[in-house]
Amino acid sequence: MNFHDLQPMALGVLLAAAAALVLLTDLFTKPSTKPNLGWLTFGLLSAVLVASFTLDLRGEVASHVWRGGAWPVFLARLFLVAGLITVLGGMDHIARKWTYRQGEFYTVLLLCLTGMVLLPGARDLVLLIVCFELMGIPLYILTAFAKTDSGPKPVEAALKLFLIGAGSTALTVFGAALLAGLAGTTDMSVLVSSTLSPLQGIGTMLLLAGLAFKIGVAPFHMWVPDTYEGAPTPVVAFLSVAPKVGGFATLVMVLWQALPRLIHVWGPVTLVLCALTLTVGNLGAIAQRNIKRLLAYSGVGQVGYVLLGLLSGREFGVAMMLFYLAAYVVTNLGVFLVAHAVAEAGDGETISSFDGLGRRSPWLAMSLLLFLLSLAGIPFVAGFWAKFFVFVAAWRAGQSEMVLVGALFATVALFYYLGVARAAYVNVSAKTEKIVVSRALAGAIIACLLAVVGLGAWPSPVVEAAMAAARSVSGIGP
Amino acid sequence: MSHLLSIIIAAPFVAALLLLPCRSTDRLLMRWISLLGSLVSLTGSLIVAWRYDIKAGGLQMAELYPLVPSLGIDIRLAVDGWGVSLLLLTGIIITTGVLASWTLKDREKEFFALLLILVAGVFGVFVCQDLFVFFLFYEIAVLPMYLLIAIWGSSNKVADAGPFRFIWKLFDIGGREYAAMKLTLMLLVGSAFILVAVIALYQAAGAHTFDMGVLGAFKYDASLQKWIFPLVWLGFGTLAGVFPFHTWSPDGHASAPTAVSMLHAGVLMKLGAFGVIRIGMMMLPEGAHAWVWAVGLIAAINVLYGALSAMAQKDLKYIIAYSSVSHMGVVMLGAATLTQGGWNGAVYQMFAHGIMTGLFFALVGLVYERAHTREVGKMGGFAQAMPIVAAFFTLGCLSSLGLPGTAGFVAEFLVFAGAWSGPHLWWALPAVAGAFITAIYVLRVTRDVFWGPGPSEQFHDLLDARKTELGALWILGTCIVLFGLWPRLLLDYIDPATTQNLAMATQTAQLTPTPATAVAAQAPPPVAPPAATAAVAHAAAGGGR
Repeated sequence: MNFHDLQPMALGVLLAAAAALVLLTDLFTKPSTKPNLGWLTFGLLSAVLVASFTLDLRGEVASHVWRGGAWPVFLARLFLVAGLITVLGGMDHIARKWTYRQGEFYTVLLLCLTGMVLLPGARDLVLLIVCFELMGIPLYILTAFAKTDSGPKPVEAALKLFLIGAGSTALTVFGAALLAGLAGTTDMSVLVSSTLSPLQGIGTMLLLAGLAFKIGVAPFHMWVPDTYEGAPTPVVAFLSVAPKVGGFATLVMVLWQALPRLIHVWGPVTLVLCALTLTVGNLGAIAQRNIKRLLAYSGVGQVGYVLLGLLSGREFGVAMMLFYLAAYVVTNLGVFLVAHAVAEAGDGETISSFDGLGRRSPWLAMSLLLFLLSLAGIPFVAGFWAKFFVFVAAWRAGQSEMVLVGALFATVALFYYLGVARAAYVNVSAKTEKIVVSRALAGAIIACLLAVVGLGAWPSPVVEAAMAAARSVSGIGP
Repeated sequence: MSHLLSIIIAAPFVAALLLLPCRSTDRLLMRWISLLGSLVSLTGSLIVAWRYDIKAGGLQMAELYPLVPSLGIDIRLAVDGWGVSLLLLTGIIITTGVLASWTLKDREKEFFALLLILVAGVFGVFVCQDLFVFFLFYEIAVLPMYLLIAIWGSSNKVADAGPFRFIWKLFDIGGREYAAMKLTLMLLVGSAFILVAVIALYQAAGAHTFDMGVLGAFKYDASLQKWIFPLVWLGFGTLAGVFPFHTWSPDGHASAPTAVSMLHAGVLMKLGAFGVIRIGMMMLPEGAHAWVWAVGLIAAINVLYGALSAMAQKDLKYIIAYSSVSHMGVVMLGAATLTQGGWNGAVYQMFAHGIMTGLFFALVGLVYERAHTREVGKMGGFAQAMPIVAAFFTLGCLSSLGLPGTAGFVAEFLVFAGAWSGPHLWWALPAVAGAFITAIYVLRVTRDVFWGPGPSEQFHDLLDARKTELGALWILGTCIVLFGLWPRLLLDYIDPATTQNLAMATQTAQLTPTPATAVAAQAPPPVAPPAATAAVAHAAAGGGR
């Protein structure tokens, strides 16, 4: 095998190289110039994103173990966009708070992205789990990055994520081991071609439970609010979107690709989980007073909708799920970054810290409003199409009751999202000074805003791309 | 392809965008931008009315822009006679609404921007022929309301009383934030139902298009229609103030600032009724036939309950708000008759009530701004201080109670006649009774506020309507009289459209009558209605057929 054979997984290779480059550069940079590492990372990520458009990424690597095509490319772009916005938005915070550890931060982030980008192409259970862990382990480090900067909460957050993460990995690996052992192979395409046995059902359940922990599906969601509350906000912004996309990509590959014949086992279970997630997430968010906890619960609720898409068929349903994830990535990043901007100004992280934002910083408030509306699924912002597409897919799959449930919970969600909007626009605050937003952070928020509005006004290109990706993963397209 | 309709929709939206970079000190500039945006739409609507070929009828001035081709979602715009009337209504109300908000003092930029975005949605709904985009516009028309009421609204604390007094404390009833949240959530629960119905219709037709023409021509399974229709009815009906889902309306309208009340009661509630007719009755004829008894029954309750509630109110805005609930009952009643006269009346009532309630809320806003109270009991003899306001208020009242010569009369008369010629004769009774009760309370409130014994000390120097306010009042007042004296002006547009739309709503059902409902639901073609009624109906229609 020569190096040229690796071309389909070029994005992963490039990212790994970028991580190495950043780590090395860090060694030779003075503390005063270390903030440039952020821009270096940003540039490298942009280059990889450009490469995803210019390189030919189709084909297989190492006979069937890794397969390129529209599916991994679509997801890779999603991860890269999440990475780019996180780097841009968090840059100043990182430079200010952890001046000497900037290199580590970006290296770890890039490694995490490497795992993510490689994940969707994996066609072998072992490689899949390796990629999944490559994605997961850096996240433990990132959440713990604040150490004890602001009390014991960051440590608690990281420890919770770590323990839950380790436990769920154990479940996943055990499930995978059962499946692979029964099939006699780790090749995902032939995993369930042998006769069905009850043990396979157990293996599937374990695998599902492990992944459910990672993406915060109720009732495996209890770590989410605590982790979000304690971890540094730029990290949470990333944590709240990218690993979820990774988790869902894994679920698609495991459930639809490897185990479609066991749909009678995982289908009903996932449906119940989906209903439970919608309920717990949306009802749990109502009582929250801390913006990050609120967004954590709202994220759980959003996961419910993504699950609904996942359940609704391997081609159309998965495509609509991908669109949902794309909309969710830009929206959720945006809302966290706005919260970050407000917190950076020293106003805290409660909902009342948004009081009077509409008067203090009209543009910031308007961005917040649009992000919240997108999360709630209101027309002409990205989130609306996302919800609608998922509903159409669910209806096609015969889940009409779930559509009604989902639509009603969207109204519940609007209640708490509007609670935040009310703080920003209706409540008055003693503070009147404008919130100072650093240029990079403002750029990141504007990027999210443009994406949210753009997807809302013209969703078609991303829909087409998602369709192509879904066709590719279900083996119909390239 | 003319772009007239898209210009009408886009103008307010563009104006809203233009407002964003304005500095908050450019107060006059912002007002002119808003006025200009709404004037473009109004002029556009007038041109549409001018260019619309009444003889040819049907949908005209079609435009098509693909939006999501893979799902068959396109922005399809076209207008029929109903659309023309409702476009005109919306144009008039937004223009006068902007004029009436000329004196607004707080955060004008956001206010006008939201108002204009909202009205762009309303315009969209009335001319959209794509079911999905219809829903999109509908949502846009509903949502800005939250901020508009919560920020610029007024609170009027309601004294806690009765067995449920603990709820008062819990929810801050009477407060503007309570009202805003209640309105938004109730309407969006409604739109959740609509969304389900939209998806159901799309999937059942299997045509991979949301084109309402295609979906409307598709014959849906009767059982599907029977359970989708209630969804549409409740979903849109919530916005139309259908009992018992009308409770957002009094709170919302009372708390909202003037222009928002005008727009909401004047135009948005019509959106609900329009949706029930356009989606519910025209696309689901069999579902409509199976449920029309309930629609009519509830509408009758609406008329009476709204009127009686209005009688019991002491707050001027609540009186007007409840009268809207009552009048929207008339619209729904007309719709439920499934007769030519009933539908003509329903659409005419949409227009007439829109203008009238717009006038009312403009006036009430004026009175509240000057007198700083909405309590009817505290007012009296205001006519001496503000004669113009008093005159216009009286005109509105006369239209509200259906005095011949006002637009309200034509509308109510058509509905009554339609009810009489329809399958349920007795529906005419509550409708007429409602008009009677309306006469009691509107005349009483006019007397109490304007014509009673002279104004007390504190109200001696109330200012009358001025400048732009006067402009708004004149436009609305003229419309009431004009369309009351010359109903043909509008019925020429409405009537042919009704004939076509009614054919959609009745034809299918007659082809495949369902045994249980065929007898009750079969709308008797108006072959031999009572001779007198037919003659008068024809006269009222101004020979528009």
